[in-house]
Amino acid sequence: MSTAVTESAAQQTLSRASAWARRAPLLPALIFMIIITQLPFVATLVISFIHWNALYPNDIGFDWFSNYAAVFTDSSMLKSVLTTVFLTVGVVLISLVIGLLVAVLLDRRFWGRGFVRTIMIAPFLIVPVAAALVWKHAIFNPSYGLLNGTLTWIWGLFGKADSAPQPDWVSAHPLGAVDAALIWQWTPFMMLILLAGLQSRPLDVIEAARIDGATEWQVFRHMTLPHLRQYLELAALLGCIYIVQNFDAVFTITSGGLGTANLPYTIYQTFFEAHDYGQASAAGVVVVIGSMILATFVLRTVSSLLREESR
Amino acid sequence: MTTAALEPTVNRASVSRRRWSSIRTWISAIIIVLWCLLPFYWMVVTSFRDVGYTFDTTPWPTHVTLDNYVTALSTHWGNHLGKALLNSLIIGASVTIIALLVGTFAAYALSRIEFRFKGIVLGVIMGASMFPGVALLTPLFQLFTNIGWMGTYQALIIPEISFVLPLTVYTLTSFLREMPWDLEEAARIDGCTSAQAFRKVILPLAAPAVFTTAILAFISSWNEFLISSQLSSDKTQPVTVAIASFTGSLPHQEPYTAVMAAGTIVTVPLVILVLIFQRRIVAGLTAGGVKG
Repeated sequence: MSTAVTESAAQQTLSRASAWARRAPLLPALIFMIIITQLPFVATLVISFIHWNALYPNDIGFDWFSNYAAVFTDSSMLKSVLTTVFLTVGVVLISLVIGLLVAVLLDRRFWGRGFVRTIMIAPFLIVPVAAALVWKHAIFNPSYGLLNGTLTWIWGLFGKADSAPQPDWVSAHPLGAVDAALIWQWTPFMMLILLAGLQSRPLDVIEAARIDGATEWQVFRHMTLPHLRQYLELAALLGCIYIVQNFDAVFTITSGGLGTANLPYTIYQTFFEAHDYGQASAAGVVVVIGSMILATFVLRTVSSLLREESR
Repeated sequence: MTTAALEPTVNRASVSRRRWSSIRTWISAIIIVLWCLLPFYWMVVTSFRDVGYTFDTTPWPTHVTLDNYVTALSTHWGNHLGKALLNSLIIGASVTIIALLVGTFAAYALSRIEFRFKGIVLGVIMGASMFPGVALLTPLFQLFTNIGWMGTYQALIIPEISFVLPLTVYTLTSFLREMPWDLEEAARIDGCTSAQAFRKVILPLAAPAVFTTAILAFISSWNEFLISSQLSSDKTQPVTVAIASFTGSLPHQEPYTAVMAAGTIVTVPLVILVLIFQRRIVAGLTAGGVKG
C-alpha cells in the first residue's frame, strides 16, 4: 500500500521533471523568436513618437502624435494611400478570378496536369526583382518588348509592319504595368489556395447532384462556390496583406514615379530622401495597423475553416 | 430492346462531348503554360541575342552569342554579380540553418506541449510574418549604424531570420500536428528517453517536412530585396540588389541584354529548385497558407 503511494508520488515528480526537461530546451527558441521578431517593431513604435530628422541631429525630442498628424495631412502620403488601395484591390481581384479559373482547370484530371501545375507555381517563387525587370524590359519595352513585338508581327501579317502601334506601356499606363507584373506573380498563390479548397469538396454530394440532373454550371454556382467562399476570403486577405507591402515591383518598374508611389515606397522616400525618421516610422506603424486589421480577418477565416474541417 | 438501341447513340454523344471537353481543357492548359512561361522565354531569348540586335523582335533566338553573360559576370563596370551569387548563397544558407534550428524547437513546443499563452504566442508569430519590412527599416538602419554593422553579413542575416522564422515555425507547426505521435509514446515505453524518442523516431519522420520548410526559407531569403538594398555594401550585396542596380558600359543607358542575362543567371537556380522539388513545395505552401 505504502509502496504504491510512494511509487505514484515518485512517478508524479518524475513526470513533472520530464515535462520540464522537455520544455526547457524549447524556451530559448521561443524567447529568441519573440525577441527577434518583435523588438524592431517596438523600436519603430518608439521612434514614431519622436521628433527626429537626421538632417537636424540636435533637434530630437518626444513629440506625441505630431508625426501621425503629419502622416495624415501630408498630401503625398495621402495620395500614396489611395495608390496603395487601387493597386492592391486591382491585383487581388484580377489574380483571384484568374486563379479560380486555373484552379478549376487543374482540379480536372488530364495528361500533363502535374507539369502545368509546376509551371504555374514558378512565377510565384521567382525572384520578385528579376520578375519586375523582366516585365519592365522584356515585355513593356517600347522598342523590343514582347508586347510591341507581337503588335508588329500581327500588323506584319497584313503587310503593314511599319504602321503597327508601338505604345510606351510603362509611361502610358504606369499603374497598369505594375498591376500586370504583380497579377502574373500572385495568380499562382491564389490558385494554390483555391485548388486546396476545390480538392476538399465533398465529392459524393456533387456526384448526387449530377445524378439528379444538375448542370455543370449549377453545380459550380450552388455547390462549389459556396464551399469555396472561405478559401476565396482567405486568399483575398492574405493577398491584400502581402500586396499592400509590395515594394520591389514599384521600385523596379516605375521607381515610384508617374503616380505609382504606394505607401511602402513613400515611407522609403521619407526615410532616405527626407531623412525624417520620426514620420517614416509613424507611417510604418500605420501600415502595420492596417495589416493587423486585415490579419484579424485572416485569423478568423482560418479558424472557421479549421472548425469546419474538424467537424 | 429499346435500351439496347438507345445506348450506342448515348455513348457516342457522351464520347464526343468528353472529347470536346478534353480538347478545351488542353487549350486552356496551353494558354496557362504560355502565360507563365512567355516572360521567362523572352528573357532567355533576349539574353542570348547580340547587343547590336537588341531591337530585333524575332520570337526565336537569332544572333546567338554568350557575350551578354560575359558582360553580366564581368566586374569591369562595377557590377559584382558573381560575388553577389556567392553572397546570396552565404546569406540564404545561414538564414535557413539558423531559422530551422530555432524553428524546429519552437514548432515542436507549439504543436506538442500545452502551456499558457500558447494562443498569444502563435498570434504574435503570425502577426510578425505580416509586418511590412519597410516599417522595420528605421530602427534597423539606426541600430546597425550605431554598432558598426552596416554592410556586414550579420546585418543582413539577422533581419532576414526575423522574416523567415515566422514562416518556418508556421509551416513546421502545421506539419508536426499531423505526425503519428503515438510512435513517440511507443518508443518511450520501449525504454527510449524522450530525447532519444525525438531524435530516433520523430526526427526521421519529420525530415521531409523540415526539408520542405528549408526550401521555402531559402527561397524567401534569396528573394529579399528591400532590407538588403539598404543594409548591404558592395562586398555583401545579394543578387537581388546586384541586378536591380546593374550598370553597363555606357552611362545613362541601361544594358538591356546584359540585364536579361543577369536575370537568367539569378532565376535559373530557383527554376531548377522548383522543378526538382515541386511536389514538396506545393505541400509546404498549402500547409502554411490554408491549414494554419
